[in-house]
Amino acid sequence: MIEFCDVSFSYAGDENVDGVKNINLKIKDGECVLLCGESGCGKTTVTRLVNGLIPHFYGGNLIGSVKYDGRQVSDIPLYDTAMTTGSVFQNPGTQFFNTDTDSELAFGCENLGFGKEEIKRRVESTVKEMKLEPLLGKSIFNLSGGEKQKIACGSVNALLPKVMVLDEPSSNLDVASISDLRNIIMNWKKQGKTIIVAEHRLYYLVDVADRIVYMKDGIIKGEFTSEELINMPNEKRRKMGLRRPTFRLEKKMDYEISGQGKKLVLKDFCFSYRKKQEALNIPSAEFSTGHVIAVIGRNGAGKSTFARCVCGLEKRSGILDFGGKKLGTGDRLKTCYMVMQDTGHQLFTESVLDEVLLSMEKEDEKEALLILERLDLKEYIDRHPQSLSGGQKQRLAIASALAAKKEIFVFDEPTSGLDFKHMEEVAAILRELKEKGKTIFVITHDIELIESCCTDVLQLEAGRIADQYPLDEMGEQKLFDFFSNRKQEKK
Amino acid sequence: MQREFMSREGQIKGLILDPRTKLLLILMISVFVLGGAGGLKLFILRPILSFIPFVMLVTSGRVGQGMLYALAYSTCYFAQIVLLPEMTGMGSAFILIMSGAFCRFLPGFVTAYFFVSTTTVSEFMAAMERMHIPDKITIPLSVVFRFTPTVMEEANAIGDAMKMRGIGIFGRKRKKLFEYRIIPMITCSAKIGDNLSQAALTRGLGAPVKRTNICNIGFGFWDAVIICICILVVVWSIAYM
Repeated sequence: MIEFCDVSFSYAGDENVDGVKNINLKIKDGECVLLCGESGCGKTTVTRLVNGLIPHFYGGNLIGSVKYDGRQVSDIPLYDTAMTTGSVFQNPGTQFFNTDTDSELAFGCENLGFGKEEIKRRVESTVKEMKLEPLLGKSIFNLSGGEKQKIACGSVNALLPKVMVLDEPSSNLDVASISDLRNIIMNWKKQGKTIIVAEHRLYYLVDVADRIVYMKDGIIKGEFTSEELINMPNEKRRKMGLRRPTFRLEKKMDYEISGQGKKLVLKDFCFSYRKKQEALNIPSAEFSTGHVIAVIGRNGAGKSTFARCVCGLEKRSGILDFGGKKLGTGDRLKTCYMVMQDTGHQLFTESVLDEVLLSMEKEDEKEALLILERLDLKEYIDRHPQSLSGGQKQRLAIASALAAKKEIFVFDEPTSGLDFKHMEEVAAILRELKEKGKTIFVITHDIELIESCCTDVLQLEAGRIADQYPLDEMGEQKLFDFFSNRKQEKK
Repeated sequence: MQREFMSREGQIKGLILDPRTKLLLILMISVFVLGGAGGLKLFILRPILSFIPFVMLVTSGRVGQGMLYALAYSTCYFAQIVLLPEMTGMGSAFILIMSGAFCRFLPGFVTAYFFVSTTTVSEFMAAMERMHIPDKITIPLSVVFRFTPTVMEEANAIGDAMKMRGIGIFGRKRKKLFEYRIIPMITCSAKIGDNLSQAALTRGLGAPVKRTNICNIGFGFWDAVIICICILVVVWSIAYM
């Protein structure tokens, strides 16, 4: 049993970062608990209190006690907690110590000094149980996000812990990988493991979880069963900042399109990476300005390659004709802008204002301030861009693109790991860009985002256009089928 | 290169060498080819040592890279011997410097490349352990190996972002280029390092027990051959001195 007794924690050095206050929570053996709430509500902190990263990795002020089977977690060194509690993290790419899958699966057992035979036995049974055979003997740099997350789960599983702690494990996964993850968690539950998941995406766990704990501002504000959450009125749920617990479509999309002006035409849009098979093959396609086009498809369907080619980051990728003008690689770099998944990569200067000025042909402070005001960044003009929150960085990246008078925007998974409120904010910005007559491509796995701001869908499969349709009533149905089929396919 | 960094996928066939042998080879080539130990008397020896990385590249299926290496190396080598006595002035000085530098650096570079692209982190750790090198040195070193490809990925992403904003050697803000590249890189690396250590610590890295390693490393026939060559080279160089 895991027992939280009046636990409060604040992180050292940064009082603003989300700690927790007066947490009282009992989790019985074999229970599956889903922690939900807005970003910064303290759910990640709760997972860190369970796996011992607080106080052993994150220092701070800890009051109260977290006990596992009667022992204080804070008194147990991390390597002992590792035997009983396994942890899976948000970002699949940065939780590997090894570079090949085989060693990674054995990594935990090796650290704890188990015998060679024992390790082999455990790894083999993990591989069998979780169906990891196809992934053996590979370099982790050749795996997709979903495959990486599977290996991460496998590596933890080989330690045979009784408790599993997962911190937003689905953030970077596509729909099919999420349903794989769901199967893994269900399997653990069957084996009687205690499972604690902090998550924004609720739909894939809502019927697995025994209890759903809702947090806000570091406090536990309520507890629900799955039925209660599913039957909760939408309004109430949105106010709580929670994502949708089921897959159904909710609202009719507003189908208003402005600025039917220029056309964006692609011709012989093909690209292949060195020595690999063709990653992209689009004989011809047409888009209009003033549209928000959702680019969907499985991992590896060519979405990122498509984005890179549109933005001019790859050379020799066919013809892109924008408003009757053919854009070469250099022109594309000038006209298009990609808002990356990690926006930290695209902010260079020392202050928010400089960041916007940097993008301008001729530095114009008045204009820069106007742009910043529109994106709610005016109060931060002197802050260092890297010290902003994720959402603020994203807005700043957009501000700098607006300052550079970019016409075509590509967003790479702008809402991965965002809660409802922040997703809405992103959607609002996309709608605003649309009204300005910009052309926007959004690579996304987030059906709620598509619903709230996209006008068209471009579905890619193996580098080709599998389907392209406007999001009218028929389109909505197609979109729904795409997401729900994928979910059932794997079941 | 990134994708085969520290991976087993990099080598399926050819001379499978123990990581320790590869390290020895890097050492030998650094001392004799790059460092130029033995001076002019061992002029013949260097091509022999430099031939080994070529064999390793070709047998492991990297024929193209092997050929390129052989071509580059022999061009520079013969440039030194054949062309130099014939030429005078700036031109010859330039060619001497270029070919001399290439002949020295290339073999070591290629061997190191072979090492990182065919050894997994786990094999590296096993090898270090067999050589009785303490964990305090092994673990940070293996983290560096693990980290390099990830940092390269980050650097590429930052480069892309700069291109889209028109910052570059031929673009704007030339003077600040270095700063713009380094700052996002440091923040990203710090974050990744944090995640990496959390994931490792929660899986028991640093436990006060003897770490097991399930990698099967050990010396085979080809290791013996290479080690014999290395011993011969050392004996030869001592005899000449």
